[in-house]
Amino acid sequence: MQNSNFFLQQGDPSVANKWAANLLKECAKAISDKDSAKIQHILWMLNELASPYGDCEQKIASYFLQALFCKVTESGEQSYRTLVSAAEKSHSFESARKVILKFQEVSPWTTFGHVAANSAILEALEGEPKLHIIDISNTYCTQWPTLLESLATRSDETPHLKLSVVVIGGGAGGSVMKEIGQRMEKFARLMGVPFEFNVINRNSSLSELREKEFGVKEDEAVAVNCIGAFRRVGVERREEFVRMISSLRPRVVTVVEEEVDFSSNRDDFFKCFEECLRFYSMFFEMLEESFVPTSNERLMLERECSRSILGLLACGADGECAERREKGTQWCKRLSEAFVAASFSEDAIDDVKALLKRYQLGWSLVPASGDSSGLFLTWKEEPVVWASVWKPV
Amino acid sequence: MPVEFEGSSVMTMSNSASGEASVSSGHLPAAASLLPPPKKKRNLPGMPDPDAEVIALSPKTLMATNRFVCEICNKGFQRDQNLQLHRRGHNLPWKLRQRTGKEVKKRVYVCPEPSCVHHDPSRALGDLTGIKKHFCRKHGEKKWKCDKCLKKYAVQSDWKAHAKTCGTREYRCDCGTLFSRRDSFITHRAFCDALAEESARTQTNAVAVAAEKESKLEVTAPANLQEKQMAPPPPPSDQKEPENAAGILQYLPQPPLAPVSMCSNSSCTTTSCGSSSLFASTVATQRTSFSDLIGSMGRPEVEPPSLCLSSNGPSSLFPPAPDRRQFPALQPSAHMSATALLQKAAQMGAAASGSSFLRGFGLAASSSPLAAGGGGEAQWPEPASMSAGLGLGLPYDSGCAAAGLPDMMMGSASLFGSKPAATLDFLGLGPSGGANAGGLSAFINSIGGGGLEAYSSGRSSSPVKTWDGGGGDVKANGRAIL
Repeated sequence: MQNSNFFLQQGDPSVANKWAANLLKECAKAISDKDSAKIQHILWMLNELASPYGDCEQKIASYFLQALFCKVTESGEQSYRTLVSAAEKSHSFESARKVILKFQEVSPWTTFGHVAANSAILEALEGEPKLHIIDISNTYCTQWPTLLESLATRSDETPHLKLSVVVIGGGAGGSVMKEIGQRMEKFARLMGVPFEFNVINRNSSLSELREKEFGVKEDEAVAVNCIGAFRRVGVERREEFVRMISSLRPRVVTVVEEEVDFSSNRDDFFKCFEECLRFYSMFFEMLEESFVPTSNERLMLERECSRSILGLLACGADGECAERREKGTQWCKRLSEAFVAASFSEDAIDDVKALLKRYQLGWSLVPASGDSSGLFLTWKEEPVVWASVWKPV
Repeated sequence: MPVEFEGSSVMTMSNSASGEASVSSGHLPAAASLLPPPKKKRNLPGMPDPDAEVIALSPKTLMATNRFVCEICNKGFQRDQNLQLHRRGHNLPWKLRQRTGKEVKKRVYVCPEPSCVHHDPSRALGDLTGIKKHFCRKHGEKKWKCDKCLKKYAVQSDWKAHAKTCGTREYRCDCGTLFSRRDSFITHRAFCDALAEESARTQTNAVAVAAEKESKLEVTAPANLQEKQMAPPPPPSDQKEPENAAGILQYLPQPPLAPVSMCSNSSCTTTSCGSSSLFASTVATQRTSFSDLIGSMGRPEVEPPSLCLSSNGPSSLFPPAPDRRQFPALQPSAHMSATALLQKAAQMGAAASGSSFLRGFGLAASSSPLAAGGGGEAQWPEPASMSAGLGLGLPYDSGCAAAGLPDMMMGSASLFGSKPAATLDFLGLGPSGGANAGGLSAFINSIGGGGLEAYSSGRSSSPVKTWDGGGGDVKANGRAIL
């Protein structure tokens, strides 16, 4: 700790409490300036102070240190691959279920998007006898049981539902989705909803998806649900991806993304670093306040973040490692090329509000304004997740 | 052969608190695996794979939490230092590939309490968290008391879950989890093993549920097939029941047309044929339960008609006209919400789903990374000891480490002058060849595993105690290499 005071002696105590951010910024700056002596010094200090099992500051320090170290030693891609393959090895239905459901229980981070999207989909497809939902998302179908239940309990005739889920990367993901599919089928049967489940397995990236793979039929009312999907498409191929979705002729498209910009700054290391630090500091703090300290689910989520941080900061700007998120305004610009922004109904907004009431204080709902549309989930006044609904032109 | 587990020392338990020699390593006794499956009650938890390695942990070890989990191999450690030491052993990524090559042996765990049924290796449980919670719940002190209703719990997480919902409206899944929120309950229900394990019962339940919806009768649904087998076959309570059954069945993904003719006969065999084709999409574990079911159906006391959906004839089972509008019973009716349906199904599934049998087999093997934290009582280490963590923990390989030493990393060794010894000991290099690599390059090399020889030789001579001594002691021990 002695050495770190070198950087902390100036400034007020509240800044000093953020020692990790201060040190990391110094380090990132030094990397931008190619000041090798300083880089070494700070990396060393960070290494002394950081721990993935410590408090929030220590965790931030640890995971960003890992990314910065890889950046400096140009070993980002390799480390990223190793971490991903280690994560895939332990990936299973059981582990995914535990982490996702626990996260949903303690934080509206993901459920916000599910509720908003489900409301929009149900409204847009109301009265249709055959629904086809194309799900390009990272939610492992945890969004659908409540939708199935809504379909089963609503007053008009229960429609037939076809659910086509896109899985990236095959391997463990494929077998996990198979298991999930079986559960969805059972659950639909229990609910009395006529149901068909398809998995579209992709080994390559989402941008390779083609319209014909979804087997859309003439008499189906199509909804496309994209939660965390666009960020997994390379920045250069996003326009094309929007066009592909449009070619499915959906009645409605729901898009949910995290509100952070890793795209426009991708060629400016320091700017990208700052945005990354801002977002993940907030995310880690949110996790800390939501989970009990010894939660393993939290550790798993943090490790997922650590891989993203590494991918963003230490891998090439155009590589597939980085999920280059964009902000609501940026997505709106892209989506407006093929769709018209629709607004969430009063009912949908009420549903989301009711959802947020069940979580701890700090969460709220803010409608997007200016040149973007949709809804923001905010945490401590900061917009963190963006949900939107789009209709064909 | 001693079994090493979870980074702690060999679990020899002959002197354990229970006074019971309970380490048994290797295979289950042959007798256990020879037990004919039909003789086992289906809903008893613990029917381990005969090939699995049986692990017996002392109560103390069992209750210790392994907070620090290696992200590469998921080994858990009670102390961060142990994890850090362990991590150096991963020469990533090539070591990783080695590991994937060999099959990890399945492990099952027995309860340390000698009087407990799960003390017997043939009734071992398939996951560590499971046995921990079992031991706590059944043999532990109930020290967690609910302030509102004074109910006591042995497992803190049970108590917490209860406290959250005590006094409020609760949704209860038959896995035992309580929910105060309907949507969480619904989502959980869809993903819960309890639903998956129902496999064989699903059709029965579905019929019963549908019948109830239609007739508003209080149908006492059989809790599981076993009970049903013992009971006299319920008379067809309502003429509409077969219609309901048909209605449910036609929503199966692939209408099973083939078995129709077989179902006209209500013998056991045909029923099982019908079931297996009805559930053609079920996973292998469910098939296990089916075979079990089929096996038990062979016994004389079984009353086949009670199991057979088609007792009213095949024509009603598989109606020729697939238009579902013919079957108004299926339309959700106002008097029974879907949630109520769920809860009903949960009740009906309750008796058998307590079984951890399927879970123990198929699922637990992959859940190890999460299992280690089950205790929930681990203390976070103090920051001081945490800072000892070297380890960028970077997965790194030799080619990379070599390439990753740009000039700037070599230049300013003097910066480290203030605590060179710490450098040395952090790396665990000890007085070894690693020192020759010099300064930061040694540092980086050994982090990465590029300096494989350097630190593997260093490891043997580097005293473990340097990891325990905290920052100050560490500095005193090392040899300056810069």
